Formats: sequence, structure tokens, C-alpha cells
Amino acid sequence: MSLKPRTVDFNQTWDTLQETVKGVVTLGNVPRAIWNDRFSDVYSLCVSFPEPLADRLYIETKAFLESHVKSLLDVVKSKGEPSLLQAYHSSWVEYSQGIIYLHRLYLYLNTQHIRGQKLSEAEIIYGNVTPNAEEQMEIGELGLDVWKRMMIEPLRENLVSHLLEEIHKDRLGNPSHHLIDVIRGVIMSFVNVEEYRKSQSPELYQQIFEAPFLQASGEFYKREASKLLQECDVSQYMEKVTQRLEEERLRSQRFVHTSTHPKVKAKCEQHMVADHLALLQSECHAMVVQERERDLALLYPLLRSVQGGINVLISEVMEHIKLKGTEAIAGIRGDNYHVLFIESLLAVHNKYRSLIQNVFNGDLAFIGALDKACTTVVNTRPNPKMACRSPELLAKYCDCLLKKSSKGISDTEIDEKLFQSITIFKYIDDKDAFQKFYSRMLAKRLIHQQSQSMDAEEAMIDRLKQACGYEFTNKLHRMFTDISLSADLNLKFNAHLKTDTIDLGINFSIYVLQAGAWPLNLTSLSTFSVPQELEKSVQTFENFYHKNFNGRKLTWFHHLCQGDLKLGYLKKPYIITMQTFQMAIMLLFEDTDTMTCSEVEQALKLSQDVILKHIASLIDCKLLLSDISSENLTPESILKLNMDYSNKRTKLRITAAMVRDSPQEVEHTMNAINEDRKLYLQAAIVRIMKSRRVLRHNALIQEVLGQSRVTFAPSISMIKKCIESLIDKQYLERTPNSPDEYMYIA
Amino acid sequence: MADEDNSSDRVDNETPKPEKMFTLKKWNAVAMWSWDVECDTCAICRVQVMDACLRCQAESKAGSGRQDCVVVWGECNHSFHYCCMSLWVKQNNRCPLCQQEWSIQRMGK
Ligand SMILES: [Zn+2]
Ligand SMILES: [Zn+2]
Ligand SMILES: [Zn+2]
Repeated sequence: MSLKPRTVDFNQTWDTLQETVKGVVTLGNVPRAIWNDRFSDVYSLCVSFPEPLADRLYIETKAFLESHVKSLLDVVKSKGEPSLLQAYHSSWVEYSQGIIYLHRLYLYLNTQHIRGQKLSEAEIIYGNVTPNAEEQMEIGELGLDVWKRMMIEPLRENLVSHLLEEIHKDRLGNPSHHLIDVIRGVIMSFVNVEEYRKSQSPELYQQIFEAPFLQASGEFYKREASKLLQECDVSQYMEKVTQRLEEERLRSQRFVHTSTHPKVKAKCEQHMVADHLALLQSECHAMVVQERERDLALLYPLLRSVQGGINVLISEVMEHIKLKGTEAIAGIRGDNYHVLFIESLLAVHNKYRSLIQNVFNGDLAFIGALDKACTTVVNTRPNPKMACRSPELLAKYCDCLLKKSSKGISDTEIDEKLFQSITIFKYIDDKDAFQKFYSRMLAKRLIHQQSQSMDAEEAMIDRLKQACGYEFTNKLHRMFTDISLSADLNLKFNAHLKTDTIDLGINFSIYVLQAGAWPLNLTSLSTFSVPQELEKSVQTFENFYHKNFNGRKLTWFHHLCQGDLKLGYLKKPYIITMQTFQMAIMLLFEDTDTMTCSEVEQALKLSQDVILKHIASLIDCKLLLSDISSENLTPESILKLNMDYSNKRTKLRITAAMVRDSPQEVEHTMNAINEDRKLYLQAAIVRIMKSRRVLRHNALIQEVLGQSRVTFAPSISMIKKCIESLIDKQYLERTPNSPDEYMYIA
Repeated sequence: MADEDNSSDRVDNETPKPEKMFTLKKWNAVAMWSWDVECDTCAICRVQVMDACLRCQAESKAGSGRQDCVVVWGECNHSFHYCCMSLWVKQNNRCPLCQQEWSIQRMGK
């Protein structure tokens, strides 16, 4: 067949074509060969000579479709009102599919004639042509448009009222199972009939179905809510509402267009939750206090659905955790106070952390409430005048875990507990106070070699560093550095002894610590006359040290030294590890059998208080004898060497004399914290001003607060004092412009 | 028990002269070093000389601070942070405390 334009007899061609069109739209059997011929007929009509017959073809096709749909309408109506949905639906299924085929059959008309004739967008925008109301549509669109005008329009009210009735029955629990596909199909036909339109929202659907559907839904749930509230208590109500919401979600998916899903959900929530918000919120308190997890799990998503509705629940949860935390630590007494304190807090934290996870889906707003509650509990002061004890107790807790003595507990358990302790650490406001206590205990562990493992020590410091930054752990790191530098120093010193063939008479080792890095204060040192046996060691080391370092001086911390003393006057030789002061006292008995306490004091030049404590410790372990009990020693008490001392073990360590932290020492710690804070703030101000050059007072205060928040909350007056002192030291000056503005002086 | 008796016998045999009652076997000492200065505080930045000067602390986010921030003594025996003094002498070549001409006697190490 030639594609060349030729003269065509319209009536004759259309008569045959019409037969096939009818077959196509009724899904009749159209053989391939016929289809191909009719396809060519469409082409021939469009390009016929001398005049194209496309417009006539269009008009005839439109007339055909209109009469076809009209006859379908009659059929649908004839099936009677009760079967309206099914009848409409089966017609629609056939027709809509038929139209898709027909659209293909008219391919040439669609692509060449109609699309070519459509106005380009540019033409519309520049207003050369006014869009023609009678503009031709592609055949697929035309078919749907005919359906919309001639089928939906006359039936719409009946269709929609049947649809709403079926959905209502579904909500009441007696759905017409055989109609599920029909209902969805009818509803979706309102959408699909406009599928050629460019617009995003299905307007016809919204107008004729969605609006009445939403209204009916709202009314239904309004009635349902008030009915339920009369029959049920709150728990049952929440359960029913949750069930209703879930059912409605599935129903939406089953029947209506996706764009309607959130709208119908909002209707349900409005009438079943938001309208009764006050009632639900009034039950929050009891549910939280009684920890009714099931109820809370139901309540949570309901309140979440209402703007701001959840806030009451969040603050109830926060108050409850605060209360439980406070209760948990209130009853604690005894020696193990620090362990019980920290572990009780952790138990509370972990309990509510997992409750939030399980019941509130790990909602960050609740995690925030947990953090706030824990912060309040952790930082509570026993009374307003006293400092909060948490920093000290937590440091002690870590000390227990890191010390050699923690028995019957595995390394992994210790590691886990240390890991957990960071949870509490993060809640502490005065982290610098924790650091002070921690460093004092760390110092003792390092100097007395009491650490369980250096790996555990360093892992803990890494955790603190992660939580608080390098500055925070800087001094702790410097302590470790001193310990390893001392190991090198001892090796060098021993090599030096070898080359110079010096014999100290004892096995000597030393820790040389850097002042400032260690929480040990020089002022609390008492005088001490070093026993002759140690003098050579002290002298030789001092000489060695000064040869190696310039401008440094050494201060001996005898109260921290210890040694091994061999006792040769007993049945068996004993080697006993003891403190230097204990050793010095014992050594006095080389030349005498008895001494008074005051004679010991004069010989060693130690303060009476320190002397009596150390003598008492030697009496307690039975190396010395006295007529008076160790608690009641006086300067006149007479001491004798115990010549009958015996012990199962020949190598042992005796208990150190406990020189308790005096109240002054605690005060000293608090002062040290204050001094450190001032230095920290000054350094922060210098750092900020160096980068900003010029800054106004308030801006500077804000930046300083921001930087220090990690470790402590400084008072504004403290920051002001630090600024003043930096002005005095000529790091800063006020700008000439304003007394409120500072400038950095390089 | 028998073992221990033997060992004490042996000690008696090896050292015929009477043993001292007390013998020091081992001593673990602890000492602290600090700069040998008359005044603990640097008169320029008013921070303890054992700590890094204020500028070094402000800069040392990484915390290396200490090592670089040593002490310097003048002929007048006054001492300061080396950092502080180097900045000072650019303005004024006299000791801030005694007004003598500044010349370095020794550096800390
Ligand atoms: Zn300085
Ligand atoms: Zn410096
Ligand atoms: Zn001077």
C-alpha cells in the first residue's frame, strides 16, 4: 500500500473504520490484519487529497464515542440502583481499556494532526492566539472526557453516596467483601479519567469524592470518640483509638488515592485525640508515676500526633526520673557510699534509658528529658553551702576500679563499669572538680604502684579526653609522662653509678615529678632529718640530677617514699616494706632498746602529729611495743622493740600510717580549683581576643561562656575580674570608641 | 619451715660477725622538680613559672605547651618565662623588676 496522499471516500472508509472502532472499545476480537488496515485508513484520511479529512474523522469519532457512552449509561441505569457500583465499574473497566487501544489505533491522528495543531506554550504566553475552547483532544483524552461528561456527571451523586455507604459499613465492621475491588475501582476512575491533565492534583476526584468523604470521616470519628469515651476507661480508649487509626490507615490504602491518606489520618487524630487532649494529658501523671508501660506506649504516638501535645508527657517523665534518682541515692550509707551512689544513679539512668527506647521509640525529646533529670540529680548539693559531692564520689568510684585491690571482678567487667562511669561524668557540671579529685587519686596510684593495669588507666583517660577535650586531661597525661621519664632517668642514674663505681649500699629508685602537673603541694611538707643510711643516695642523686638539668631544684617528698627494711634480730630474717618515716623510726633502735616518743621526734625533726601517727602504725603491726595503746600515745610514752615479733610470711608490707585528708586539704583543693578556673578563663580570653582583635564586652562574655561550658560554668563576675586583670597585665585595653569594647595588645 | 631454718643457718655461716639489726635493702624515693627561682610567679604574665606562660597556654590547644616554655635567669638573678622576656626586651632592654640592663645568665633545661 502506498503512503502517497490520494483521494479517499470518507463515508466508505469511515463505515468500515467505525465497525472496528466499535470492536476495539468493547474489547471485541479484532484480527491483526484488520487492525493494520484500519490503522492505515486513519493515516489515509489524515493525509487525503485534495483536502485532509482529519477534522471530519475527529468529529465522527467523537460522535460515535458519545453515543456509545450514552448507551452504556442506559445499560448501567437499567441494572438498578442496588447494583449501580458494580454496573458502573464493569462498564468502566471495559471502556477505559478499550480507549487505550483506540488511542493506539488513532496514532497518526494523535501525533501528526492533533499534537501539531496544539498551541505551543510560547504562542500562549505571548498571547498571539487565544486558546480555542473547541480545541481537539487526542483520542485517549477525548474518550475519557466523554466518559466524564456523559457517564460520571449524571451518576455522580448516586455513585458517591453508595461509595460512602460502603465505606461506612466497612468502618462498622460489616464490609461487602465482594465489592472491595469495585469500590476502589470506582473511586480511582475519578482520578484516572483526568490522567491526561497536566495538573498534579486530581481535581475531579477531590471535588466529587474526597471532600464529602473527609466530611463523613470526620463526623464518624467524632461520634465514635464520644461513644467510646462513654463505654471505656482511658486505657481501653487509647487501645481502641490506636486500633481505629491502624484500621483507617489500611482502609485508606485499600480504597482511596494516596493524596488522601494524610488527610483522613489528620481527621481521625483531630476528633479522637486532639479534641480530647486535655483528658489524655490529665492521665499522664498517673501512668508515668505507676510506670504503666503498655499505656504509655499507646499514649505516646497519640500525643505525638497533636502539635505540642507531647510536652506534658515529656515533663512528667522528667519529673519522675528526677524523683526516682533522688530516692535512689537518698538512703545510701556506709563505707561503700561512693560505689552505691554511682551504681544506683547508673541503675536509674539505664532503667529509664531502656524504657524510653522501648516505650517512646528512643524519641530524642525524651532522651533530652532523661539528661536534664540526671543532670539535676547528679548536681544536687546536700545543702546550698556545701559543694556537690558527685565529682569526688565518681573519682573515688573510678579509683576503686583502677586499683589493684578490686578482687573477684574480671577485667572486662571493670572495663564495662569504667565505660558506664562516663555516663555520670557527662552529667557533672563541675568537671574540673572531678578532674582535681581524679588526679589526686591517680597520683597516689602511680606513686605507690597500685594501678591494676596501665592499659586500663590510659583507656580511662582517653574516654575523659573524648568527653571533654585535650585540655581537660593534659595534666593527667603529664603525670604519665613523668612516670615514664623517671624510668629512663633511673636507667641513666644506675649506669652513672656503675661508671663511677659508686655503691649506695641500697637498691635505689626514684620518681621525679614535675611541680604543677601533680596535685601535691609543697607547702604541706614537714621537716625531716634524713637517716644516715639514705643520705648518700640523696646526695649522689642530687649531684647527678643537677649535672643533667639546668636551673632546677629538687624537693624530696619523704612522706611518699617507701623502702624495704631487713630485720636481723628475730628468729627469722624478715624483709618488710614500709614508709620512709616508719623506716626512720625503726632505724633509731639500732643503738638503743627503749625510747620515748619525744626522743624519736627530736631525732627525726618531724612534727609531733606525724610522728605519733607513724609510731602508732608500728605498734599496731606489733613491730614496736608500748605500755600505752596506740591511740593514746603521748610524748612521754616509752617504746620498745618487739624482740618476739613473728609472722607467717618473711616478706610483707605493713599498713601505712594514714594521714587523713584534713579539712584544710579539702579547702586547698577547692582553692586550687578556683585558681585553675581563673587561669583557664584568662587563657580563653587571650585566645579569643588574639583571633578577634576587637570585641565588645557582651560578645566576649558569650564566647568565654561557650568555651568553658565543657568543664564548668563560670560566674559572670569571675569573667569580669579576669578581663580586668588582663587589662592590668596589658594583654588587653579598652578601645577609645567605647568603654564597652576591648582590643588585643600584641 | 625446715627450709627457712636452713636458710637462716646458711646466713649465719656466711656472715660470721654479728649481723646488724636493721639493713636497708631498697628505697623508692619520690621527689619533685621545679625551677630554682626566687619568685614562683613570672612578673610579666603573672602565671606560675612552673606552668606555661599565658600566651603559650592560650595557644596550646594541642597542649604541648610546657617543653617550649622554659625559664630564663638574668644577671640580676631575676627569672621569667623565656617567652615573656623575649617579648619584653623588644620594647625595653631592662629587667622589669630591678631596671638593670637585661642580659641572660642561664636558661632552664
Ligand atoms: Zn610569663
Ligand atoms: Zn610561653
Ligand atoms: Zn632584675
